[in-house]
Amino acid sequence: MIRLTIDDREITVPEGTMVVDAAQELGIDVPIYCYHQALGPLGACRICLVQVEKMPKLVTACTTAVQEGMVVHTRGAAVDKGRQGVLEFLLINHPLDCPVCDKGGECFLQDYTFQYGSAAGRYDEPKIHKLKDAAINEFIIIDQERCVLCQRCVRFMGEYVGEEQLLLEGRGVETVVSTVGHQAMDSQFSGNVIDLCPVGALLSIPYRYKARPWNLEREESVCPHCPVGCTTSVTSREGHVIRVEGRPIPGHNWGWLCDRGRFGYDFGYVEDRLLNAWIDGEMTSAAESTRTIGSWLNDTLEQHGRDSVAFLVGGQQTMEEAYQIRRFADEVVGTSKVAVSRSVKGYLPTGLNGTFEDLDRADTIVYLGQDPYDAVPVVHLKVRDRHLDNPGLKVIGVGAYDLTRSTVPGDAFVIEPGEEAAFLAYALAKVAASDPIIARLGAELGDFSPTFKGSTSEQDVERLGHQLLESEHLVLLWDGKDPHVESVLLALRGLREDVTAVLPTFGPSNWRGFERAGIAVDYDRLEAIVEEAIQGKIHLLFSIGADLLRDYPDRERAKAALAAIDRVVSVGLFFPEQRELYHAVVPGAGWSEVDGTYTNMEGRMQVAKATVQPPGQSRPVRTYLGSWAHALKKSFVLEPEWDPFDNNAGDLIASVVLPEVRSVPRPARPAMKDGALRLVGTALVMENGMPSEILQPRMPRYPGRISLADARRLGIGEPGGELGLRGQQGVISVMVAVDERIPQGVLVLPYGVVGSPLNQLGDGAVVEAVSLEEVSLR
Amino acid sequence: MLEGVKAIAKGMGTTFKALTEPRDTIAYPEKRREYAPRFRGKHMLARDEDGHELCVGCGLCEAVCPAQAIRVVAAEAPTDKPVSWTNRYSVDYEVDLIRCIFCGMCEEACPTNAVRLTPFNELAAFNRLDMIADKEELLSPPVRR
Repeated sequence: MIRLTIDDREITVPEGTMVVDAAQELGIDVPIYCYHQALGPLGACRICLVQVEKMPKLVTACTTAVQEGMVVHTRGAAVDKGRQGVLEFLLINHPLDCPVCDKGGECFLQDYTFQYGSAAGRYDEPKIHKLKDAAINEFIIIDQERCVLCQRCVRFMGEYVGEEQLLLEGRGVETVVSTVGHQAMDSQFSGNVIDLCPVGALLSIPYRYKARPWNLEREESVCPHCPVGCTTSVTSREGHVIRVEGRPIPGHNWGWLCDRGRFGYDFGYVEDRLLNAWIDGEMTSAAESTRTIGSWLNDTLEQHGRDSVAFLVGGQQTMEEAYQIRRFADEVVGTSKVAVSRSVKGYLPTGLNGTFEDLDRADTIVYLGQDPYDAVPVVHLKVRDRHLDNPGLKVIGVGAYDLTRSTVPGDAFVIEPGEEAAFLAYALAKVAASDPIIARLGAELGDFSPTFKGSTSEQDVERLGHQLLESEHLVLLWDGKDPHVESVLLALRGLREDVTAVLPTFGPSNWRGFERAGIAVDYDRLEAIVEEAIQGKIHLLFSIGADLLRDYPDRERAKAALAAIDRVVSVGLFFPEQRELYHAVVPGAGWSEVDGTYTNMEGRMQVAKATVQPPGQSRPVRTYLGSWAHALKKSFVLEPEWDPFDNNAGDLIASVVLPEVRSVPRPARPAMKDGALRLVGTALVMENGMPSEILQPRMPRYPGRISLADARRLGIGEPGGELGLRGQQGVISVMVAVDERIPQGVLVLPYGVVGSPLNQLGDGAVVEAVSLEEVSLR
Repeated sequence: MLEGVKAIAKGMGTTFKALTEPRDTIAYPEKRREYAPRFRGKHMLARDEDGHELCVGCGLCEAVCPAQAIRVVAAEAPTDKPVSWTNRYSVDYEVDLIRCIFCGMCEEACPTNAVRLTPFNELAAFNRLDMIADKEELLSPPVRR
């Protein structure tokens, strides 16, 4: 530890701390443009000049490490004169755009010029003109004249994310920030450069000219799009959400967002947004609809009893809403049939759940089944952050295709789809077959041996087994598709002495919160409701924020279930798929329209504030529940509000006792005909079902991915093409492109692609490529 | 009776005397007062010589307005017909003339000298909505007769 004095106040900080960070710890504000804790020191902008005693000149606080006994002055005549000089240089070619610049009012160049700069410039020569208002991708424009060349954006993309898409071009005063090869930036972290830019050089296109800082309202919120639950701040003007920014929490996260979270906020205003209630295909008023639905509920309860009513919830609402639904089902209806609509079967016991702090300390990270880059992009960034901190980080991908990518290199084990659990049990048995837990795990496996695509040898598997058992801090990112992985994870926790943390990358984004609110989230519950519906035992189904056809793994079965129910009521932001299967559709309120708590994949509860009023006739769930209860002439009191936070566990979900390790069943391998493809589903946050007009240009044109060999065989060229697929349950057409990480015989398709429903054929199904005419005939 | 005649004569005397004296009032609306050159009346939005709107929709008037009488919504200027001299312009500009206290701070804050307070002060309407001056109204300032 090093002791130093800043502005006559003493502080002790660890060795290697920069003066600017030490000052910040004391609450002393040193102006900064180029420095960012995540990106490290650069010293490009020179605005952070401070005076250090016994040093002949002013030094930059962001590149000077603290030394024992250092005496620093962050203000004073010399410092202010130095900063004034720096600002004069920065402003030489800076245009007088402040009235038309979107950054005006929240711009560090404005603020520091006001604080330190001189009132008038001395430079009479004409300013150099550069490119203005040039789009660098669909969401961001660059104004090169306003740039102060701090290089935050360039360093963020190149060094931090590892996707070199921005660079400095030119020399001296002609230097500009530009994209590599003058191609549009396509990184899904591109939006972060808007937050990073300290001046008005990189600006958001959807937010362009929408508002000025003084007519905005900002509320703290949480991104609802994937289980990461990034902290955001939502900006609204006149009752409309117009911007989402990252909200850094010191010591916990940097406030990075993916483009889905940053620009996908307009789902509340798209044309498809449900603004009125619909009963039997007729538009009606909200009051009329609650009366009708209330009478349905009354009739169903009288005629068929309590157990004929079921609730299906989507898992994207707040925990409070989940709690209200659960209490309504319990107290008013009296049914226990409440299930969360899910697309994967896995469940992670709370006790195994790790946190993002585990990622920051990990020495081995294992991706199971899914590349986190697609499903939970910001987790990929956290892994990359750890990789930069600790280049010795071992990353292992286990799945039906190569899950690693060049930004975080690692070993890939490409196995048959759906065999993750069996493969892991096999790898563990290779190392310690005699261990009783491993023996129990592999009791049913028999002579199972995995087949590898690629150059994996048995030695590699043995090494994986050792890494799983002996690494010092193991973090597993699990996609939840193979439910038997749960047993493997429990076994690992039982076997290992060091930390074993699991982060579930599967949705729905608030499933952990629903569990806390008292709604069991296991897949069997959902399956039971679907089964009973098909048998005709359910007469009234409330689908609240759920879309069974989209989520449920078997589309035909979901259709049969919905068709067999007398009355299906949907509460949501949009029409569910195949709205003719629903008898009532009423408009609900969602994220940014209701206050509430969301639980992320860490099991961390985070509060999101309502920012705007629900549009049209849409109402929060509790309004509907209250009026339905009223129709039954039952009291339904939700006061006092439920507090989801636990006194002992703080903002984390309290862990429970872990279940027993069960054996992994031997996976059945379907017979593959020559030329057949195995369909593998993935979660893709861009295709998560929330419509967005802003994101439309970024929606993947070719969501399906196949190997080069298959593409050649099927005649798919560059950049991609349409492919007809026939499975046992029907045919679909998929837009596919080549991805070199996909092995031959596998087609990877995200869940819920509009027009290409994966659940029509089934995850893991064997499919045949057919002509497109055959698809259109069906 | 004589007393009565006297009193009437005195009263009429005062009346006729006052008839020849200079008046304190003017015959509005036939005649109007001359105001000081810096009189602050209703707002206008100015154009430049080419007819382009000067307002860039920066919202500084909105920010400075102590009565919160101004609402500005900016947008990207249409490219097909030149409206503004920059690519940003105000698509909506409203002044609530009931709220306005005619302090002139909007005029002072305007970086492009677009908002100006004219001497026009004949503000009257039959309902409150008519007292909200929209952009069209402000772009064609009324002239004081």
